[in-house]
Formats: sequence, C-alpha cells, structure tokens
Amino acid sequence: MIGSFPLETIFTIVAATLFGITFSLFLKGVDRKLIARLQARQGPPIAQPFHDFAKLLRKQILIPSNSHGVMFLSVPLVGVAAMILAVCLLPVPGWKPLAIGGDLLVLLYLLAVPGIVIMLAGSSSGSVYGSLGFSREMSLILAYEGPLLFALVSVAMFVGQSTGSFAVFSLAEIVSYQKSHGPLLFEPLMWPALLTYLACLPATLGVGPFDIAEAETEILEGPLIEYSGPPLALLQLMQAMQRLVVLILGIILFIPNGPGGILGLFFLACKVALFAMVAITLLRASMGRMRIDQAFLFFFTWPEAVGLLGLILIAVFV
Amino acid sequence: MLKKFIPSAARSPWLYRINAGSCNGCDVELATTALIPRYDVERLGCKYCGSPKHADIVLITGLMTKSLYSKVMRLYEEVPEPKVTVAVGICPVTGCVYADSYQVVGPVDKHIPIDINILGCPPRPQAIIAGLADAINLWKERIS
Repeated sequence: MIGSFPLETIFTIVAATLFGITFSLFLKGVDRKLIARLQARQGPPIAQPFHDFAKLLRKQILIPSNSHGVMFLSVPLVGVAAMILAVCLLPVPGWKPLAIGGDLLVLLYLLAVPGIVIMLAGSSSGSVYGSLGFSREMSLILAYEGPLLFALVSVAMFVGQSTGSFAVFSLAEIVSYQKSHGPLLFEPLMWPALLTYLACLPATLGVGPFDIAEAETEILEGPLIEYSGPPLALLQLMQAMQRLVVLILGIILFIPNGPGGILGLFFLACKVALFAMVAITLLRASMGRMRIDQAFLFFFTWPEAVGLLGLILIAVFV
Repeated sequence: MLKKFIPSAARSPWLYRINAGSCNGCDVELATTALIPRYDVERLGCKYCGSPKHADIVLITGLMTKSLYSKVMRLYEEVPEPKVTVAVGICPVTGCVYADSYQVVGPVDKHIPIDINILGCPPRPQAIIAGLADAINLWKERIS
C-alpha cells in the first residue's frame, strides 16, 4: 500500500530475522551437544555456534587469487537473505507472515537457493575441492528435488481436493485446514508424502548420510574450503537457518496444531527441537556417509516411487 | 559494541594440523585427543578443520624437511590473522633423532614464530590438552 507506513511488515521481518538467527544457531548447538553425548563425549557448550559466529566475524577475509572475487563474496549474502525471506513467509504463531498467494511454491524455490549458493561458492572459489563439491551438490539436487516436489504437491493436493479446489499452495490455508480437520500426520493417505519428506530432509540440508558435498574427511568441506572470516560465518548461518526452515516447513505441512501467540511459538520450538533430534541428529549419529552414486540411486528409486505412489493415491481416493 | 563479542569469540578456537615431516607419532596422538571420548577437545570449543583458512590455532608436528618447507610456509600463510602457533613434540624444537639429517632445514621455529611448545616424543594426550589450554589463553589475548 502506497502512503501508509508498513509497520506490521517491518515488525514481521525484524521478529522473523531475530527468531531465525537465534533459534537456528541454538538448534545447531543442541545438535552438536547431542551428537557428542551419543558418542560418550562431553561435547561443546550449547552456545558454541554463537561463539563460532562471533569469532568468525572478527577474523581476516582471505580472497584466493584465482577466485571470482565479486561472486565469491556476494553469494553468502544472497543465501542468508533468501533464508531470512523464507522464515518471514512461514506462518509461525507470534507474528503475521508476509502472505502471498502460492507461498508453498515460493518456499520450494527459496529452499533451492542454499544449494545453488553452495554450488556457486564452490565453483567461484577456484579450488579443486570446491568444484568437486559443486558437482556433488548438483547431482544431489537433481536427485532429491523430484521427490521433495512430490511430497509438497501431495499436501497441496490433499488439502485442495478436500476443500473443493484442485490444489492449495497457501501455507495459511493448509494450517487452517489442519486446525479444523486434525493434523495430516494422522491421515494414512499422507504417510507416503511424509516418508518422502523425511527421506529428502537430510539431503536438502546436507547432513546425515547425505553430507556428500561437504564431506569433511574426503574433500575437506568442499565449497567452504576457501572461505574465511565473515563470509564463512554467513554461509554457516545460512545452513543453520535452512535447517530451521525445512524443519518448520515439515511441521507446518504435517502437524501445525497448537495454541496461538507467544505460547504457540514456544510450542512450535519444542516440536522443531524434537523433530530435529529424531530426523537429523539420531540419523546422523547412526549412519556413515553415502557415496554420491549411492545417494543418487537411492533418491531415484525409493523416495521417488513412494512419493509418486502417494500422489496417485491422493488423486484417486480424495 | 564490538567489545561485547570478545569473551564469546575467544571461546571458539578451531584447530588445524600441519605435518612438517613428522614420523606420524604426534599426529596419532593429536587424532587421539580429537577422537577418543575421554580426551574430547570439543568441550573446549575446539574443532579440527580441514581447511587452513578456517583455523585459529595451528598445530605443527615434525621437523621441517627440505621437500615440505615451501608447502608448510604456504599453508601457514593461508591461516587468517589472528592466529596462535603450537609446536607439538620435540621435533619442531630440536629435530629429535633426525637433527643431523641432510634432508632437514632446521627447527621449525627458525622459519615460523612458535608461541607454545608441547614437549614429548610423542607427547601424551594430557600434555596436548594442557598445551591447548595455554594456547587458548593466548588466543583470548590475540582476538581481543
């Protein structure tokens, strides 16, 4: 609206940014602590990601002589900006989301941004390990984007068909549908979509058995290898926030029920922490890393087949 | 405002290992301090990183051999400031039993400023952790 001061929008952006940064770093700290405890280690303090972030902001920035300097330094900013926008779009209780028509589709595109940022970071760094990470990330994106799309479209179609239209891509409507009809988690027809989403989750985040693009012990964190100081801090913040967005999106799609207001935000935070523990930390602690060809084959068989089956079931029976 | 970050920033010293021609004994001990639950260095906020550009504390093992000299110097220069250098084992100081070898270009501290020395051949994990604690105290001063 021209003329009126967009106070509510500004409040949303500030609140979502603060919540996104602090809660995503906190989640990462909990994850590191829990992994350490599972391996019978003491582990770092939960505030460790905040210390790391503060430390990296004070370090020197090194730019490799054979890198593309402008792109090398600008892609971390693009990634963090995309993730902040994604947090603003999520219908989280506590503030009014920046609602636009098909925000589920916009989120799907925004969730692809960190992968593209990692690819650009790797290819512009001029390092061999960076370009290896670039090629691995690209193969992985090709493999998991299909099943992920099936899972999201399944939810949109289920809600759409139940309410009379073809598909609903508005997160607010998906939430309000589940508030009146019960969460989709308890809907047997939605279980294939849930399984597909769970399978794609570690791959979108580059954790668990699918940390192939940044394999520390093989290609030395690949695309991140040439980064130092503040750009590295931004890239790590981007990855932490991406984890938060994917987890919250999973909760919104399958079990968003809870009270409203600040209490609802706390309730959501508890659900996110629980979800992160089961779907990321336990999985990461119990599995080794897959090779890129194994991961590629995996996504082209099971998640793809289950996701497609779920979509067909919804199209036929709802 | 930046002053507020100091205590927090000092609690995140990331480690990077440079093998300057060591016999691998010290490297195994360093791996022990990282991997074995009893000696977990992550509780101090430390993390072994794969890239010298992420590092804050550089751990150098071994005597400087002729063939590794240029590579070690390059790696050392790629570590962003501020940094702390720790020499692990007695090789970087004296050269140990290889001191008279034709392949050795002298103790490491002739080429690189060393801040902390962890003695032993190889040093015990406890000694490494004690040395790291000293290095972290020094790192606190450097970052603030």
